[in-house]
Amino acid sequence: MYQEVNHVGGGRGMVKLLKNGLTTFIPFDPANTDYQKYLAWIAEGNEPLPADES
Amino acid sequence: MSQINVNTITNRDKTGGPNLVGITTVSGNFNVTDNFNVTGVSTISGLTYPTAGPLSNRNKIINGDMRIDQRNAGASVTNPAASALYTIDRWWIYGTSATKFSCQQNAGSVTPPTGFTHYLGFTSSAATAPASSDIYTFSHKVEGFNTSDFGWGTANAKTLTLSFWARSSLTGTFGGGLGNSAGNRNYVFSFTISVANTWEYKTITIPGDTSGTWLSDSGVGIQIYWDLGSGSSQKGTAGSWGSSFYYGPTGGTNLVGTNGATFYITGVQLEAGSVATPFEHRSYGQELSLCQRYYLQIVTFLSATTNFTALWPSTMRAAPAVTSSGTIFLAGVTPTTTAGWFRDTGSGAVYNVYVNAEL
Repeated sequence: MYQEVNHVGGGRGMVKLLKNGLTTFIPFDPANTDYQKYLAWIAEGNEPLPADES
Repeated sequence: MSQINVNTITNRDKTGGPNLVGITTVSGNFNVTDNFNVTGVSTISGLTYPTAGPLSNRNKIINGDMRIDQRNAGASVTNPAASALYTIDRWWIYGTSATKFSCQQNAGSVTPPTGFTHYLGFTSSAATAPASSDIYTFSHKVEGFNTSDFGWGTANAKTLTLSFWARSSLTGTFGGGLGNSAGNRNYVFSFTISVANTWEYKTITIPGDTSGTWLSDSGVGIQIYWDLGSGSSQKGTAGSWGSSFYYGPTGGTNLVGTNGATFYITGVQLEAGSVATPFEHRSYGQELSLCQRYYLQIVTFLSATTNFTALWPSTMRAAPAVTSSGTIFLAGVTPTTTAGWFRDTGSGAVYNVYVNAEL
């Protein structure tokens, strides 16, 4: 499940993905393929967990 | 006089060579032991080996000799269902249905072609009859920054040559597809495996595409697929450009259709021009560094509740996704193309960190 993570200075920071016991932090970079997958997941109508600190 | 037969020609004062004017053809060996100045030559054809000159970095394929395997260290992986999976560095696989084939560096432990120590091997895990739309393939994506000199999508598009060593337990027609990032420009290529279980050298010359949009930035410049047995609707006519994306040639060999069938490949080179030059062997350090622009792994130790800054060994293609286990987390700061910032929220440990900016 995806969860947005706040930046340490405030505001949107990254997306956190918990999968298979591993934690992946995904930057909001359109060139990042993991972020592209996240956007596709959102486009399918899914919603991430509420934002939390990293 | 149309021909002279002599061993040596000098100028009139015998202090050096003559000025040769208007000569267009030299037959047989032409040996030069001193300076050889040529003016006005616009075309030299038939050269296949760069004996000197700035011809390095002509191979656009990274890890074309299949040496670098950061993720799996030589272990075998099987294709997931309808999801791309990177195997050795820069190479990835895709299969519509899961576990139809495996992929491994030096699978089967055969002797690679002369000059190579590694290859990438694919082994069919079943006798799969693909549906028309099924896709079974492996692929390499070349970053647009590295293909911009090809001029594709313009009137000056250069001809390219793809070369590689291939070996299969099956004989017949094999092939793949080459296209742009959007997948709306495609060239299907084919080659023949003539003898089973024998390395064969293949060269394919591809005319430059003067139309379509070809990225020249950090996105996908050119993507190349080799077909492992896709369905009939995923295959097209070889040897021409089109707007539909095909993964291989019509009638191509269906590797996944034969349980245990193998296909091995190494020495993959994509270069400008209509001639395949010998494989460009870059140093291991250079090749690893090129791979680390897209993916890298680091091992780090953090004591309890400490912060740590990691500088990536190469500037990455994009801000990377960072994966780890345990209680190490990014310290609330977005990783960049050059660095990541970590914090251990637990009691301290050694952590593996995986950094991904693949295409």
